[in-house]
Amino acid sequence: MAQIFRPSADTWFRVTVVLVLVAVFGGGVFATGLARSSYATRQGWPLDQTVPFSHKHHAGDLGIDCRYCHVDVERGPKAAIPPTYTCMTCHSQVWTGAPMLAPVRDSLANDRPLIWTRVAKLPGYVYFDHQIHIDRGVPCVECHGRMDEMPLAYRAHALEMRFCLGCHRDPAPHLKPPDQVTRMDWSGWDKVPAHRGYGQMAMAKFHIDPAKLTDCGLCHR
Amino acid sequence: MSAPHKPQIAKADAGARHLRRAAAEFPAAFAGLSQVDRRDLLKVMGASLALAGLTGCQHDPAPEARPYVRTPDGIVLGKSRSYATAVTFGGYAQPVLGTTHEGRPTKLEGLPEHPASRGATDAFTQAALLGLYDPSRSKGPARFGQPTDWGSFESAMTANAARLDGQKGEGFRLLTGAVTSPTVGRLIEEMLRRWPRARWHVFEPVNHDLRLEAARLAFGRELSVRPRLDLAETVVSFDDDLLGPGPFQTSYARDWGVRRAAYQAGQGGSELLTAEPAPSLTGAASQARLIASDAEVDRLVVALAAALGVKGVAAPALPDRQAKWLARAVAALRRVGSAAYVGVGPFHDPAIQALGLRINDRLGALGHAAVVTEPLFKAPPDGAGSLAALLADTHAGRVDTLAILDANPIYAAPRDLDAAGALRRVRLRVHMGLHEDETAAFCHWHAPVEHDLETWGDALAIDGRPSLIQPLVRPFYAVRARSVLLMNLQGDLTADARTLLGETWRDKLGDLQSAAWRTAQERGFIDEPDPAVAVSAASGAVTLPAASASSAGLTVLVRPDPAVWDGALANNPWLQELPRPFTSLTWDNAVAIAPALAKRLGLKTGDVVRLEAGGRVVEGPVWVMAGQDPSTVVLTLGYGRGAAGLGHGVGFDAGPLRTAAQPWRLEGATLTALGRNAALATTQDFTQLGDFDFVRTAPRGDVAPKPAPPPPASFYPPKPESRPQWGMTVDVDLCIGCNACVTACQAENNVPVVGKAQVAKGRHMHWLRVDHYEAGAPEDPVFFNQPVPCMHCEQAPCEMGCPVNAAVHSDDGLNLQVYNRCIGTRTCSSYCPYKVRRFNWFDFTGGDPPELRAARNPEVTVRSRGVMEKCNYCLQRIVAGKIEAQVAGREIGDGEVRTACQQVCPTNAITFGDISDPKSQVTARKAQGRNYALLEEVNTRPRTTYLARIAPEDADG
Repeated sequence: MAQIFRPSADTWFRVTVVLVLVAVFGGGVFATGLARSSYATRQGWPLDQTVPFSHKHHAGDLGIDCRYCHVDVERGPKAAIPPTYTCMTCHSQVWTGAPMLAPVRDSLANDRPLIWTRVAKLPGYVYFDHQIHIDRGVPCVECHGRMDEMPLAYRAHALEMRFCLGCHRDPAPHLKPPDQVTRMDWSGWDKVPAHRGYGQMAMAKFHIDPAKLTDCGLCHR
Repeated sequence: MSAPHKPQIAKADAGARHLRRAAAEFPAAFAGLSQVDRRDLLKVMGASLALAGLTGCQHDPAPEARPYVRTPDGIVLGKSRSYATAVTFGGYAQPVLGTTHEGRPTKLEGLPEHPASRGATDAFTQAALLGLYDPSRSKGPARFGQPTDWGSFESAMTANAARLDGQKGEGFRLLTGAVTSPTVGRLIEEMLRRWPRARWHVFEPVNHDLRLEAARLAFGRELSVRPRLDLAETVVSFDDDLLGPGPFQTSYARDWGVRRAAYQAGQGGSELLTAEPAPSLTGAASQARLIASDAEVDRLVVALAAALGVKGVAAPALPDRQAKWLARAVAALRRVGSAAYVGVGPFHDPAIQALGLRINDRLGALGHAAVVTEPLFKAPPDGAGSLAALLADTHAGRVDTLAILDANPIYAAPRDLDAAGALRRVRLRVHMGLHEDETAAFCHWHAPVEHDLETWGDALAIDGRPSLIQPLVRPFYAVRARSVLLMNLQGDLTADARTLLGETWRDKLGDLQSAAWRTAQERGFIDEPDPAVAVSAASGAVTLPAASASSAGLTVLVRPDPAVWDGALANNPWLQELPRPFTSLTWDNAVAIAPALAKRLGLKTGDVVRLEAGGRVVEGPVWVMAGQDPSTVVLTLGYGRGAAGLGHGVGFDAGPLRTAAQPWRLEGATLTALGRNAALATTQDFTQLGDFDFVRTAPRGDVAPKPAPPPPASFYPPKPESRPQWGMTVDVDLCIGCNACVTACQAENNVPVVGKAQVAKGRHMHWLRVDHYEAGAPEDPVFFNQPVPCMHCEQAPCEMGCPVNAAVHSDDGLNLQVYNRCIGTRTCSSYCPYKVRRFNWFDFTGGDPPELRAARNPEVTVRSRGVMEKCNYCLQRIVAGKIEAQVAGREIGDGEVRTACQQVCPTNAITFGDISDPKSQVTARKAQGRNYALLEEVNTRPRTTYLARIAPEDADG
C-alpha cells in the first residue's frame, strides 16, 4: 500500500497549525490595536478646515470666552458651531480684507453656510448633553483638551465610551466650580488646600450618585 | 442493508408530519420556506457570518457641519420648539402644537389650550405630519401630466380670467372640498361677486349633508348639533359612532373620558347604550350593545320616540331582545333628565335623524348636553346636491372652465354621476391639490398646494373656534397656498397668503403687526365662544320614511375607513399599517360579514367574494366580524386608489357599488364566493378572551386601595430604592381603542413601517399595540381594547436572556434596550411573555428617501437591521425632563414627563409617573382596587399595570 503522506507532512502540518494560530492571534492584536490607534480615533490629528480657524489665537492669545461663539452650550444639548454672523461681528471690523477670511465673507454675502469638518463628533447612538455637564461644572478642557493651545483643532481624547465612563464612574476629580467651566488651565487647582474636597462637595450638593451615572439609558436611547 | 433504513424513513415521515402541522398552524412562517434547500441555506449563512464582522467597520473620516449663516431668533441647537397651528381634516381644523427640530416639523401634539383638543389628537392628526414629507406629493405645477413652471400656469390663468371677466364668469365653476376656512370662504365670495355667473360647488366624500337635512326637518333650518359628552350621563347611540374615527373623535372622546372619570370617582353616571348593525368603537365602549340591522335601528329610534312621548309617533312592535334594550335605554334616559343625548348615525335617513333631534328636544338636552350652532361649513348654493348639480350642468355642456380644489371626484364620486365623462366635456380643467391624483390626471393643469404645516391659513375647529394655521417650515417644493391659487385663478399674481389671511381678520385683530394678531397666532386660535342657538323642534307632524320592503338580500353599509378615511390618506404608510380596530387588519380593506352569514355561505376570513347590488359589483376578501348583524355587509371607503403613491392598488374600491341616491346603504345585495383566497395581513391572530383574564372587569365601587399581598419569592436581585421610579397605568375602562397612541408612538420613536408582506409574517414594528378581545359568543360578544406597551418588568425575563447584556435595567426602573450592544439573537423576545419586543429583520430605515429622514425625531436612534427594539417609556422625554429639573435645581414634578402615548390619549386612559412618589397620579391609580398586572402569575412584576373595566350595573337589564 502506497504511502499517502510524505515524511515532511508532519512538519508542514505543525507549521500550518502554528501559522494559523499566529495569524488569528496576530490579526486580533492588529485589529484591536488599529481600533484603539489614533488613526481610528483621530485623537491628536489636526483636521483641515475651510477656514483655518485657530482656537489658540482666539481663545488663547485673545482670551475670548468659549461661550462668545458657542452660545448654546449652557442652554442646550449642543455647543453649536457658531453661525457666520458671529464671525462677522468682529471680522466686519478687523481683518476685513484678509484672503483667509474670504469664505466667511462669501458665506454671509451669499447666505450659504460655511462647511466645517467636525472634530468631536460622537456616534449617532450617543446622546451627549452639554447643558447639564456645564451646569454641574465639568470644564470644557476635560473633554476637549487645551483648545487654547490648538492652532487647528483636534481631538484631545479619543472620546470612546471608556473615556466617558472614566468620569461617570468617579466624577469627583473632574468637577470644578461651574462659574469657571471655560477655564483651560487648572494645573494649580489641586495645590490649594481649600480646593481639595471640592469634587466631593459638588457631588453632595448636586446629589450626584455615580451608581446612576452608568445607566445605559443616560446616553443611549 | 434495508433494515437500518426503515426507522429513518419513519423518522423522516414523522418530521414531515410535524412540519405539515406547524405549517398549517403558522402559514406565514412557512410561506416560501420550502424552496430553500440545506446547501443554499448553509452558503447564505456562511456568507452572512463572514460579512457580519464587517458591518462594524463604519468610519466617517470627515463628518461635515453646516452651521447657520445667521441663527434664527430663539433657536437653541438640539432643542425642539413648538408652535401652535392646525391641520385640517374633513374641512375642520384639528388644533395642534407642532414640534420642530432645527426648523423641521417632527411631531404634532394636540393644542393644550384649545377646548376641542385639550392636548389630545386622533391617529389621523398624528399621521398628518408624514403627509408633509410624503415623497409622492406633487412638487411643482404640471400641464397634461408634464412638469411645467408657474409662469406658464399664471399666463394661462390670466388669459382665462380676462375672458371670464368679459362674460361675468359665465361657464366658470369652482369645485372644492368642505370649507370652514373664513379666508377661503371670503375669497370664494369675492370671486363670485366679481364673476356673478360663476358657481361654486362642494364635494366632500364623507359629509354632513344628511345631518343638515335632518336639522332642516326638525328645526326648519340647517343647524349643527354637537353632543356634550362630558355633561351627558346617559348617551344612547343609534349606529352613531360618537367615539369612532373622524374629525369629532378627539373632542368627543375627551368629553366622554371626562364624564367617565367622574363616574369612576363616584360623581354622576356614565351610561352608553348602542344599537348598531356592525361593531364600532362606541359600541365596544357601551354598557349595553344591541345588534340590530340598519332598518331595525331606524325602527328602534321610532320606538324610543314613542316611548318618550314625542308627538305624532306610533310605537312599532319590537322583538323581545330589542324591547328589553329599549326599556333599559328609556329608564336610563329618564333617570338623568336633560343630561342625556340620543345620537342617530349620520348616514341614516334624515327623517329618522330628525326624529333623534326631536327626542333630544323632548329630553331637554338641546342647549344642555347637546349644543346647537349655526353650521360651520360655508354652504354652496346647491347644498347637498352640489356635485350632482355640477356634473349635470357639465354633461349639458354649460361648464367651460372647471377649477377643482382639494376634491377628487373621479375616484370618490358615485359612479352613476359619471364624473369622468362629465369632466371630458369641460374646455379648461384646473386641478389644485396635494397630489397628482385620479382627478389631476383628467385635468389640463395641476397646481400643487401647500401642506397645512407649510402654509398660512385658517379653519374652524369642530366647536366653531377659528384656528390660525401658520407654517412650521417653508414649503419644500414649488407649491402655493390655497388662498393664493384662488387669486391666481382670477388673474391676480401678486397675492400673498399671509396678507390674504390678515385681511380676513383685520376687523377683529387689526393688522398683521398688531399685538392682538400676534397673541392670536401664538395661541393658535381665536377664542370666540360658540355662537349657540336656542331652538326647539318644530311641532309639525313627523313624517317617517316608508319602511323599506323587507328585501330578501343583504344590506350593504358603506362607511369611511378607520385608517385611510375617504381615501385621501391612502398614501400615508403610518395609517396603512395601523391595525384597524377589531380586525387588526393592515394594508387592506375587507367585506365584513357576520359569523352566522359566513357559516351559512361556508365562508371564512380571506375568501374572496363578489358582492352585487343593483347590477353593480365589487370583489374583495371577506372578514368574519364578530358581533355584526347577519343581514348586514360592511364596506369601507378609501381603497383601490388609482393614483396615490403608496396607496395605489391597496385593497379594493367600494365605490362601484355606490350611487348618488344611495351612497351609504344598498339593499338587496347578494354575496357569491369566488373560490379564491386573499392573504390578509393582521397583527393579532387570537382575539377570543375565553377563560383568560388579560382584560378584567371589576365593580364600580372598587376604588378602595387593596392591601398589597407579599410578593412571591424570587431569584432576581433586589431593586434599588432610589427615586424616581417610573411606572404606568392603562385604564381599560377609559380606553376606546382609537389607535391614537399607536401612531403617536410611531411618530415619537421613529418606528419603521414594514409593509404588508412583513406584517403578514408577524414582523410589524409597533412598540405599542392595541389588543382587541371578544368575550362571549362570536355572534354577540363584549369587546375589549387593551393597549400593550413594554411592561418594564421589575423582574424582566428578557434581561436574563441576553447574552451581550443589551437588555438591562436602569436605576429608575426602566427596562432598557441598548441598540449598539444588541447582536440580534432575539433571545429576549422569546423570553418576553408579553411579546412587546420588535426585531429589525431587515434594514427598514436605510432606504428611506431624504424627505422621510427629515421627518424623524432626532432625539431617538434610528435602528438598523439585526437590532431588537421596544418601548422605553419615551426615554428621551424622561432624560429631557430630568435635565430641565436638575438645571433648575428641583425635583422632577408629577406630570412633567409625559410619554407620547399618554400625551395623545383623548380619554386620559394612560398615566405615567413616579411610583415612588406617594402623591403622584400614577400611584393613586395603582392603589385602586381595579389595578391588576397582565400575566400576574409569571411574577415579572410589571411596572405597566392595568385598571380593570368597570362592569355595567344591572348588566342583565
